[in-house]
Amino acid sequence: MFDLPEIPYLLTLLIVIPLIGAIVSLAMGGEKQKHAKTVAIAFSAVTLVLAVYLMLSNDYSVYTENYSWIETAGLKMSYILTVDGLSILMVFLTALLLFVVSIFSAHETDKPNYFFALLLAMEVGLMGVYMAGDYFLFYIMWEVTLIPMYFMISWFGGPRRHYAAIKFFIYTHVASLVMLIGIFALAFQAAQGGLVDFSFEAVLAGSGAFGETFQMLVFGLLFFGFAVKMPIVPFHTWLPDAHTEAPTAGSVLLAGVMLKMGSYGIIRVCLEALPQGAQQWQTIMFVVAIVAILYGAYACIAQKDLKKMVAFSSISHMGMVMLGIACLSDVGVEFAIFQMFAHGLVTAVLFMTCGMAGHNFGTREIPLLGGMAGKVPVYAAFMMFGFMASLGLPGLVGFWGEFGVIFAFYEYAYSIDMIWLIVFCLMSLMLTAGYYLWAMQRTLFGRLTDRIDTTHVHDVNKAEGIAMGIMCLMIAVFGLWPDLALSLISQYSTGLFGVI
Amino acid sequence: MFIEYTWLVPLIPALCFVLVGFFGNKMGKTGGGYLAIAGVAVSCLLSVLISYEFFTSAAYASPGYYTESMTWFTFPGGFEITIGFYVDTLACLMMMFASFISMLIFVYSLGYMGEEGKRKRRYFAEVALFVTGMLGLAISSSFIEMFIFWEIMGLCSYLLIGFWSFNHPEGDDKADNAASAAKKAFLVTRLGDVSLMGGLFVMLYAFGSLDYTVVFDAANIASVDHNLIIIACLLIFGGVIGKSAQFPLLDWLPDAMAGPTTVSALIHAATMVKAGVYLVARCFPIFCEASSVMLLVAVIGGVTMFFAATMAMNNMNIKKVLAYSTLSQLGYMFLALGAGGYMIAIGIETGDTALIAAGSLGYTAGCLHMVNHAFFKALLFLCSGSVIHSTGTEDMREMGGLGPKMKVTSITMLIGSLSIAGFPFFAGFFSKDLIIEQALHAADYGTAGWIFIVLWALAIITAFMTAFYMFRMWYMTFRGPEGPKTQHCHGESPKSMTVPLMVLSIFAFGFGFVLLFGFDGLLSINVDLATGQFFVGGGHAEGLEYLVEFFTNPWTYLTIVLVIAAIIIAKFMYDKRKINPGKFNKNGTSWLYRALASRWWFPELYNQVSWKLGYGVARGVDYVDRNIVDGAVNGLSNAVVGSGDILSKAQTGNVRNYAAVVLGGIVVLFVVILALFYFMGGL
Amino acid sequence: MIPIEFFLAFAAILFAIGAYGVITKTNTIIVLMCIELMLNAANINFIAFSGFLGDAMGQVFVIMTISVAAAEVAVGIAILLNAYKIKKTTETDSLTCMRW
Repeated sequence: MFDLPEIPYLLTLLIVIPLIGAIVSLAMGGEKQKHAKTVAIAFSAVTLVLAVYLMLSNDYSVYTENYSWIETAGLKMSYILTVDGLSILMVFLTALLLFVVSIFSAHETDKPNYFFALLLAMEVGLMGVYMAGDYFLFYIMWEVTLIPMYFMISWFGGPRRHYAAIKFFIYTHVASLVMLIGIFALAFQAAQGGLVDFSFEAVLAGSGAFGETFQMLVFGLLFFGFAVKMPIVPFHTWLPDAHTEAPTAGSVLLAGVMLKMGSYGIIRVCLEALPQGAQQWQTIMFVVAIVAILYGAYACIAQKDLKKMVAFSSISHMGMVMLGIACLSDVGVEFAIFQMFAHGLVTAVLFMTCGMAGHNFGTREIPLLGGMAGKVPVYAAFMMFGFMASLGLPGLVGFWGEFGVIFAFYEYAYSIDMIWLIVFCLMSLMLTAGYYLWAMQRTLFGRLTDRIDTTHVHDVNKAEGIAMGIMCLMIAVFGLWPDLALSLISQYSTGLFGVI
Repeated sequence: MFIEYTWLVPLIPALCFVLVGFFGNKMGKTGGGYLAIAGVAVSCLLSVLISYEFFTSAAYASPGYYTESMTWFTFPGGFEITIGFYVDTLACLMMMFASFISMLIFVYSLGYMGEEGKRKRRYFAEVALFVTGMLGLAISSSFIEMFIFWEIMGLCSYLLIGFWSFNHPEGDDKADNAASAAKKAFLVTRLGDVSLMGGLFVMLYAFGSLDYTVVFDAANIASVDHNLIIIACLLIFGGVIGKSAQFPLLDWLPDAMAGPTTVSALIHAATMVKAGVYLVARCFPIFCEASSVMLLVAVIGGVTMFFAATMAMNNMNIKKVLAYSTLSQLGYMFLALGAGGYMIAIGIETGDTALIAAGSLGYTAGCLHMVNHAFFKALLFLCSGSVIHSTGTEDMREMGGLGPKMKVTSITMLIGSLSIAGFPFFAGFFSKDLIIEQALHAADYGTAGWIFIVLWALAIITAFMTAFYMFRMWYMTFRGPEGPKTQHCHGESPKSMTVPLMVLSIFAFGFGFVLLFGFDGLLSINVDLATGQFFVGGGHAEGLEYLVEFFTNPWTYLTIVLVIAAIIIAKFMYDKRKINPGKFNKNGTSWLYRALASRWWFPELYNQVSWKLGYGVARGVDYVDRNIVDGAVNGLSNAVVGSGDILSKAQTGNVRNYAAVVLGGIVVLFVVILALFYFMGGL
Repeated sequence: MIPIEFFLAFAAILFAIGAYGVITKTNTIIVLMCIELMLNAANINFIAFSGFLGDAMGQVFVIMTISVAAAEVAVGIAILLNAYKIKKTTETDSLTCMRW
């Protein structure tokens, strides 16, 4: 957007700064541990500033870094960092959420140095995934994100944290191993017996060697790997458990940016390298997407735990992303990416509010709550804002994602003469409104509950208010000015497929 | 001069929303009320100036609109989303009456909400946003922009209906009720909105843009698949049904009475439900592509008109009666638009210019009734609010004989009631009579014309019922024996409440006369048959000829007689108490009475359907998720762990067993290798 | 000269006896002794082949094995004594705490 002077090694800095932050935070044991939050906020703020600087720059290609990392006679793995219209928003989102979450968790008192070290370590992995230009680096960073999240859940989580953490780890790890097989298949097939170069470029250059059957099979492997992460029904069951048990900050990052790794992977790896495979899998992608959308929405209605409800709503909204991707059109991918970004922003507020219900009210069970708006008006306002943004109120960011994705789907449906298909999407919008409003009615409104002790209920504190305020502001800004994000995305998505 | 600044009209209340919302509590006792009033007053003034400029300047006459817009964003495939404003006579009319009535309601709120303390901040912020929604809707230049403001109104109605959904001053039951009503309002209108959104997709894909200038361009319409336009129209009308609470989505509006009365006045008069009427009027160029669509509009309107009126007949809640009357009057508007549009559509098909001109009158009638209704319904609601404010009850059986205690309220409410009943020379008379005339006129054309005869008959019966239930309400409240709460009445309401009533009653009486001064020319819709292009305004005004036309038409007298008869019956029943209403309904036990009291069992039906389709399916999905999908995952992990358990039994820890296994293994390996060598041909 | 087959057969029998002892005996001392038997069976094979081939390397290995076996017995007996101190038994069937 602007002609900003180039900062050398900017992309590496985006990875290294949180890494240093994590180490510093980890070292602040004992007496100093109450300063860990300051460290985390400072380091994540610097990262955020750099990420914004990067986002506002005109030309991302100058920042690409390419160093040989492991090079033998037959194998080449490189340290390549690069950003484009697809990844820049995710980088920004990661940096933003990390910053906001650090502020939000300022009152964490239980081993804060470990807590913030884990947060920053997660940022390292996430940044790495979104900026990697090499499949091997991509895979390693993918795994790097897993470990801090595992400890985050199993150390700082709720009562069933061990179960949830193990389930999360094993489930997603199995999926990433399947993905690894897919990546090997891509790299070795592209090399055709020559030097196996794992960089994205080399694989793309060799993609002429991908036959039809190969594309179909490898697409399946990779798709499974990414679909578990997204998650797509029926591979989603780790998510509600992980979310319910994870601490609020963990949930925010998990839903806000980690799920996006899945959809990012599908676009980056599956669509770019295996376009024919995508064509063959298109119908299946549509089916799973629509099933995820409706299934997630329906499951939300039946949930009693606020956080679990939001977790299922994530499944539904990520189904929207899948739907946009499945259209295999410029519009579809553009708005799928936008929806990823929008969901990242919105879901952060949702998890913050729902997580706070646990701290502030002592329970997240919807049937136990009621009439809280009278007790905690600020909390209620944030919650309502988040819910409204998530149900796609026009003028807020969530609307454009859904609008664009359903429009892309309509285009596709029109091209195959089945426009009635959009009824499913429209129905999901209705269901989304239904479960959010019903949840609000039961938690915030009506008579003040007598099922829990409401005398000690406290409203949003300053740190939480600032954190959520930033997110709400972002939701409104990107909602009123979607071009801010869309102009970046279109640099990537325009011409990816051509128009249906 | 002013028209370039039309974008300020919604922006000023929006600014007030932000300021009041964040800093209202620092703005003195009214919680920012004065700022909100000032903001909407500026908007009102600005819209009057804009309208004046638009009406008087010849520069805007030829295309019939003035628009400015900029690209908001584009996306692949050449689709462009624009944002801007679009001023034509319809928009002028909407923004003038919406801002004017809202301003009066805000002033009234100062008194009505006077005891709400800190909550006034929230109240004034939300109503300011509400007005933003309506004004933005009126001046939007594209469907998507319109949709945004449309949904903002939905949000505000949710917030305001649920204004007392917690810490209700009258107890928890009311709070529960308000919370449920707010949810219902949002969800039911959302059902419509989703349909509208579907319509937007269809149109966006068909036209490549949602800008009014593109969509309403005759050449563009002609180049688009006709069936797509019909689908789009039906879907858009679905949105209208939800927003304007038409059959079958009419059930949320009576429940919405759980909000403060001023909010009801806003929803019913100035904003929200009028948005649907506006949208149909706005979409005439595409709705008129098919006479069947217009027929549907008319039929839905007619059915709602009749059903809602029946439900108002025996309701005892003063606000609910008004709510049903709103539904009924909205039905009239859709009947007018539908009948007019039907004639225009047939006129376009057959190339009959006269028929198009006749149909244009339906458009005028619908819009005029919309404005008239805005005035008298705002008046009626504010009057009922005044009564509720001083008696503390909404049940008409507890009122009665309030007339002498609340002179201003009773007289202004009488004016409102006469106007809505269609008493001659009151505002409602002109528009309603024009509508009934249109319905009869439309019956002469097309194969489906006979339907309009039925609708016409329904319209006349409804006129009778309207007069009856309105005067039933008026007599029960202000005349007759004193009710139990009448003693508690602490006199007339404060000035901030009565002055808006008086101002509104002037308009409720007199606004109909604009018809005689060229209103129909200003707000007519014309079609250039050569190009098929629609434009609003600039039509031939019949002016005073209407008076002649009304009073030479025998059917007009039928309506007038019916209305007067209804008023007299109501007087005998509820004022003089000469006729006991109980003998018509077996003292409330006849099936008809029960059907009406339970709103024709609509709420029951909705509850059942939404419960079964929503929660029932959700429970099923949840069961599947817990037991089958997650069960499979946990089952797999249990299988792995379990088989490991079984295999680990082999680890006895006994050295001898291990040694035996090792030896046995070596022997087996040896034998296998020997056998392999033997069979594969030696060493 | 005694043919080499005799040595080999002898070593095999010795090994079998040792193996049998290791598997069947529950007394750890006997098990250790049986292990020694098996080691010595291997030693005899080394010697036999060394003599048969005229290569001293086999004898070198035997010396090596004997010294390793001595060390092993020392360690083994030490473990045994400790086990006895804790468990008050040297029966192999009772010493099953290495299970998982």
